[in-house]
Amino acid sequence: MSKRIDVHHVTRVEGHGNIVVEVENGNLTTCRFEVVETPRFFEAMLLGRPYHEASHITSRICGICATGHATASLRATEKALGVTLSEQSWLLRKLTFHGEILDSHILHVYMLVAPDFLGVGSVIPLVNTHPEVVLRALRMKKLAGDICAAVTGRHTHPIAMTVGGFTHFPTTAELESLHKRLVESRKDLDATVELFSKLSWPEFERDTEYVSLSKPDEYAYIDGDIVTTDGVRVPPERYKEVTNEFLVPHSTAKFTRNKRESLMVGALARFNNNYDQLHPKAKEAATALGMKPKVTNTFLNSAAQVVEIVHSTEDAILIIEKLLERGIQAEEPAPVTRMPGEGVGVADVPRGLLIHHYQIGEDGRITGANCIIPTNQNINNLEHDMRVLVPQVMHKDQEAMRLDLEMLVRAYDPCISCSVHVLTIK
Amino acid sequence: MPQEPSSPLTEKKTLIIGLGNILKGDDGIGVRVAEILSQRELPAGVAVEEVGTPGIDLMNRFEGWQKVILVDAVQMGAKPGTWRRFSPQDVRLIANGNVLSLHEPDLASVLELAQALNMLPDEIVIYGVEPQDLTFMAPLSSPVEAIINVIAEQILSEIWK
Repeated sequence: MSKRIDVHHVTRVEGHGNIVVEVENGNLTTCRFEVVETPRFFEAMLLGRPYHEASHITSRICGICATGHATASLRATEKALGVTLSEQSWLLRKLTFHGEILDSHILHVYMLVAPDFLGVGSVIPLVNTHPEVVLRALRMKKLAGDICAAVTGRHTHPIAMTVGGFTHFPTTAELESLHKRLVESRKDLDATVELFSKLSWPEFERDTEYVSLSKPDEYAYIDGDIVTTDGVRVPPERYKEVTNEFLVPHSTAKFTRNKRESLMVGALARFNNNYDQLHPKAKEAATALGMKPKVTNTFLNSAAQVVEIVHSTEDAILIIEKLLERGIQAEEPAPVTRMPGEGVGVADVPRGLLIHHYQIGEDGRITGANCIIPTNQNINNLEHDMRVLVPQVMHKDQEAMRLDLEMLVRAYDPCISCSVHVLTIK
Repeated sequence: MPQEPSSPLTEKKTLIIGLGNILKGDDGIGVRVAEILSQRELPAGVAVEEVGTPGIDLMNRFEGWQKVILVDAVQMGAKPGTWRRFSPQDVRLIANGNVLSLHEPDLASVLELAQALNMLPDEIVIYGVEPQDLTFMAPLSSPVEAIINVIAEQILSEIWK
């Protein structure tokens, strides 16, 4: 008896990846996740460009992680050129980052993951069967986008976020309005947690090395040390000691590993490393979802995203309260204090640890760049998960097996390529 | 901040939206056309913006507008630089099957979802251009470059008529 699962271009993930699984006489003979494209073009794009363009170029690489790329890019430049952000700039950076975490996670859990559990093929039939779910998701998503637009000038590509700070500031009225809407959105959060706590997540366990940022005083999204559940802690500048990139023949993306055969980044990794720093309401959500670290069921990465939706909403409310209390100042960006320079910027973006590493020459142009993308770090782990999952599901028929594997891929919220968005007309 | 509809002096409050990623060669065609139009005089009640690759959030831009004109790269199997004006009803748009992803924001799926949710404006017009080169950091290809002004003028004549 042999089975072959060959999924070309897994749907409801970002970009193109293929699942190839072959089972012969009950033995798994082939198990690959082929990445057929990858955004490894960053370095070439940045070389020779003035440092102030880097965040605008890299934000264009991705329509979802635009703020994440811009943030990691700006931190790399700011560290290279000795730029110290003001307290207000930090609050605004964190606020817009929460906006993107919310935007991305809401899209993923509602539009890409929920259809698997609600028995429909995509979000469009969901409009007929569960209209309130789709409308809630869109309402929450719009609020998230409006946070980014108020802070950085527009929703997707944060035009007003620049080296040293911002060139545009939200008004008090905008912040008050966002605050009101975020507080009102708590009822949507409750409904979200309730919905996802009722889903029956696939049973699956595979412990791995979970890698994320960590900071002493907060749930880390921007800056911090790189830490792992296997006890590693290094500053961002030593990222290569953790990522250890290597090549495999079937993928154009580089793979990573550290202490074990593979490692995982993303919401579940952050949850496992930084649970203690979650907002109390996010911990309540975790309890409702049946999660307590260390969680080793990869499918629950999506549930960890639900927990982070609660955390980011609550933390955004606190940040806005701080900003309103201080009063928004239209301040100039902090100055560059040295040139040339070299810096590593890290951000734990929706899909996990993102690293930008730049060298900037005396003339202010980028002479070297290295970017490590979350999905690249996860693909190796995904393949190892597949090797564990396939023997558990190989008794099922081909279609059911295929769905299980696709759901596993989607659990990673992979972001395989970026931003080709061409229509095909038949 | 995104533009909002101004006073309705024209027949229909119209928003022209340029879509695409300027880092990916001809994918940036919609943005380039929007840039040209933003330098031109537009009737009252007409606005133009470039939104990059907004995915599902494109729907949020429809609110308050009666007519929306989208400019985008569209693979029609035609010669690069070929452009067509059509409505979503005119053609069957196939984008990744019946699914929704964001990096390929799947205009067809977004429009279908907007329709299901009753969020479509009264009229949608799509100006589609057949791309040649969609690789990262490629410039616009010469056949697509050559057509930008033609499309901009065509849209101007449509909104001024």
